[in-house]
Amino acid sequence: MIKLNNISKYYENKFIKTFVLRNINLEINEGEFISVMGPSGAGKSTLLYIIGMLDTASEGEYYFYDEPVHKMKEKKLTELHKSHIGFVFQQYHLIDELTVLENLETPLLYQKIKTSERKGMVADLLDRFNMVAKKDLFPNQLSGGQQQLVAIARAIITKPKLILADEPTGNLHSGQGKEIMELLKKLNDEGTTIIQVTHSEENAKYGNKIIKLNDGWIEK
Amino acid sequence: MIKNYLKIAIRNIKRHKMYSFINILGLAIGIACCLLIMLYIQDELSYDRFHKNADRIYRINTDLKFGGSELHTPITSDMMGQLMKQDYSEVEEYTRIYPYGGRKLVKHGEVYNVELRCFHVDTTFFKVFTFPVLYGSTENALVDPRSVILTESTAKKYFGKADIVGKYIETDDNHGTLYKVSAVIKDVPSNSHFRFDFLFSMKDVKYDWGNFISMNFHTYLLLRPGADYKKVDEELVQFNDKYCLPYAKEHLGIKSREEFEKAGNSILNSLIPITKIHMYSKRTQEMSPTGNIQYIYIYSAVALFILLIACINFMNLTTARSANRTREVGIRKVLGTDKQSLISQFLTESTLTAICSVLIALIAVYFMLPSFSKLAGKDLYFSNIVSRQILFIIILLPFIVGLLAGSYPAFYLSKFNPAMIIKGKIHSNYRGSKLRSFLVVFQFATSVILIIGTIIIYRQLNYIQNTNLGYQKDQVLVINDTYALGSGIETFKNEMLQVPGVKSGTITEFLPTPSARNIEVFFKESISVAQNGLTMQRWKIDYDYLKTMGIQLAEGRNFSQDYGDNTSSVILNETAVKKMGYTNPIDNYIYTRNDNNQLTKYKIIGVVKDFHYESFHQDIGPLCLLYGNSMGHVSFNINMASVANILSEAKSKWKSIAQTIPLSYQFMDESFTNMYRSDENTGTSVLTFSILSIFVACMGLFGLAAFLAEQKSKEIGVRKVLGASVLEIVMLLSKEFAWWVLLANIIAWPVAYIIMNNWLQNFAYKTEINWLVFIISGIVTLLIAFTTVSSQTIKAALTNPAKSIRYE
Repeated sequence: MIKLNNISKYYENKFIKTFVLRNINLEINEGEFISVMGPSGAGKSTLLYIIGMLDTASEGEYYFYDEPVHKMKEKKLTELHKSHIGFVFQQYHLIDELTVLENLETPLLYQKIKTSERKGMVADLLDRFNMVAKKDLFPNQLSGGQQQLVAIARAIITKPKLILADEPTGNLHSGQGKEIMELLKKLNDEGTTIIQVTHSEENAKYGNKIIKLNDGWIEK
Repeated sequence: MIKNYLKIAIRNIKRHKMYSFINILGLAIGIACCLLIMLYIQDELSYDRFHKNADRIYRINTDLKFGGSELHTPITSDMMGQLMKQDYSEVEEYTRIYPYGGRKLVKHGEVYNVELRCFHVDTTFFKVFTFPVLYGSTENALVDPRSVILTESTAKKYFGKADIVGKYIETDDNHGTLYKVSAVIKDVPSNSHFRFDFLFSMKDVKYDWGNFISMNFHTYLLLRPGADYKKVDEELVQFNDKYCLPYAKEHLGIKSREEFEKAGNSILNSLIPITKIHMYSKRTQEMSPTGNIQYIYIYSAVALFILLIACINFMNLTTARSANRTREVGIRKVLGTDKQSLISQFLTESTLTAICSVLIALIAVYFMLPSFSKLAGKDLYFSNIVSRQILFIIILLPFIVGLLAGSYPAFYLSKFNPAMIIKGKIHSNYRGSKLRSFLVVFQFATSVILIIGTIIIYRQLNYIQNTNLGYQKDQVLVINDTYALGSGIETFKNEMLQVPGVKSGTITEFLPTPSARNIEVFFKESISVAQNGLTMQRWKIDYDYLKTMGIQLAEGRNFSQDYGDNTSSVILNETAVKKMGYTNPIDNYIYTRNDNNQLTKYKIIGVVKDFHYESFHQDIGPLCLLYGNSMGHVSFNINMASVANILSEAKSKWKSIAQTIPLSYQFMDESFTNMYRSDENTGTSVLTFSILSIFVACMGLFGLAAFLAEQKSKEIGVRKVLGASVLEIVMLLSKEFAWWVLLANIIAWPVAYIIMNNWLQNFAYKTEINWLVFIISGIVTLLIAFTTVSSQTIKAALTNPAKSIRYE
């Protein structure tokens, strides 16, 4: 599904290159649950964003379902990422001005899905996450765990093949964290590929493979 | 999708109440000012366009240079029109207006009303001009003498209804004359350069017809379609050679045109399109006050700048605050939006705000229009907004403003790399926005120009009020229309002099306040050749005129009963003496031609100090005072403490002599003030607009200061922990604003100097532009800006640092 060949990422500043990622070679198959670990500044998030097509690599090749992502124009990238990839963040990143229902609806709007169909999809999801009663609340009226649930619901509403989670439990206490991890595990069991960045050994265990990053290198 | 954008836009407006308030209200003020000014300009430019043939109607002007004086008038001799029609194939029709029937007394029930707007016109009046008829017909309306046409409201005033064709009105001409109403027309629109209530027949004018050198008629030509008026204009020279010269040779002793012109004299006729009269004619004796194209430019600039200031606020606040929305942009990008959707979202938001502003502005204009109309001296109607040009602008405006204000954040924010935003690597860089600093400087520079303009206009008005006019304008009571007293005028004056508080009285033709007056040519030698001629105003005065008006003698003596030579003597003003070239004028002689074309000799017995008998816009011209009985006004120098008693005495004494005709009076300082009404209105409107512009600019500054304080709350917290005092923090935050305002002043000063110097050229007598004005405006703007900003900076400086630091 994903194939990275010699991916490097660096920032150039007055002729000094600062490397974030160096020669990353990675292959991820459909249905895997990968945990990326490593100390702060190791390049975990950058790797995640490059895979998620929010950022581009400085060097190397990236194939997504055998399509060369590194050669794509912005429009194609946006198209590909909005139909195949869902994101979950440590800080939830819900839109403050929108209600729970509207937050869930937004990705569907960008996919130009018809009103009736959209309403159905949102209702199903609210039902599934037990959030029907909270649909008209704003994010700041919810607890952190509830916000992250909404964020996950928003990430999967477009039925993506791949979910990228950047420390999804980082801001949650252990009970809530566990709930979120269980949910991710369940999604994985249903066939969604998941890549998560985490500091926690315990959470890493939910996955079936661990990749350790250090100073931009993959540790073998 | 658009619903989603609108929802977010409305929630954003609601959530950030202060910023939304500043944005919407500021823009609304800007748009409201702009609309008011546009209504004014639209009215000014619409003058005389309602005539069906407006593009073919021209008026003949006359420019006369004779004996060192210049005359620029909108009038011609009585023959001009008909001879032009006879000689030029381009001229389809001509018509004349003789407005000097002027005042008429028209009987209404038992008493007479003074009617000021009475014209005598040719029967061709309605062939040239377009005034819709309500009753009767204008076809042969003024062919018969003693016929009259009334406007609708005049008819209603006298008869209670408009359908009055065939009825009669009575005036006191020749002690009672009946005029038959032959038609009633619609009221004259307010945007006509002449306005009247009554049209009488030209046949009722008693005049020395066929006189080529007396000019008393407003003559209009209707040219044939397609005729080139410039060509007719050029040929007018030949017209003068053909008709005027022979006449002048006989009556003025002029031998040839060459000789006449060699002595620095000239007579020139020209055509002006009727639609240009209101904006471009600066001639004396226009039938109503003309506008000034210069003011149209000034007002347009002011309107544009206020709108710009408001738009800049909008732009600055939106861009400054857009930094807070980078997160939202980032999330939306993660969720799969593309650039276009983001751009349209931001544009929707700014356009919506702009639409709110336009709505508020329309409401404001609706309520402000009556008082603005009064200030502008116009009948402006809200319904005029629906006129094509203005409506077009109103509809287009929110989109333009929305695009201007929304485009920067839209394009700027949509460019960001979402990964960077999500990772929090993009911070709004406040100092970085050079554009923002530039815009604030521009706003304040505009405000400074308006402040300087206001101060200088008021200094000039003050100068006019406080300069010694050379006569006394206070404490003079003027009784009008004393023709009505007939021979009882002396009795009236003498009886009034017995009333306690009346110090002196005079029966006069002219007052020192401006009015249309007689002009005559005087000669230094007994040979009346053009070289030694001087055109002067000629007033007839009595013994008490100088005393009552407070005019002072520089040399010689006043007319007096003690000498027998009053009718052969003359008093000149200093300018006349100078122009004649006398060093010792007393006991010298000057000459003029009397009605029978005979030379008459006058001895100079006195010289009065120059006094301002024209407005400050004009130089004091030469003036010649003759002794003579005249009627028109009786003026009294009175003690203002007993004015009530004096007025009631005047009323009862008037009634006993004039009976049915009502007393009309005025105080001379009132008519003096009226003279500068339009200058004062300019002052008031510029003052209003400059206050508004500063207000709007300060609102923007307030918003920016609040934003800056919010952005720097962490820095402020850290500095306080490190021991900074409140004052130091306030200074830190205010420093930048102070620099902006100072820079704005430096840019504004030379611009303001050039504009105001130009404005002052309208006055022959004017104040100096004092450099203190600039310093004061600098200090004022700095103070206003500092006060505005300080409310926010002090609040920020007083915040407990624990709060702002822990927040992160």
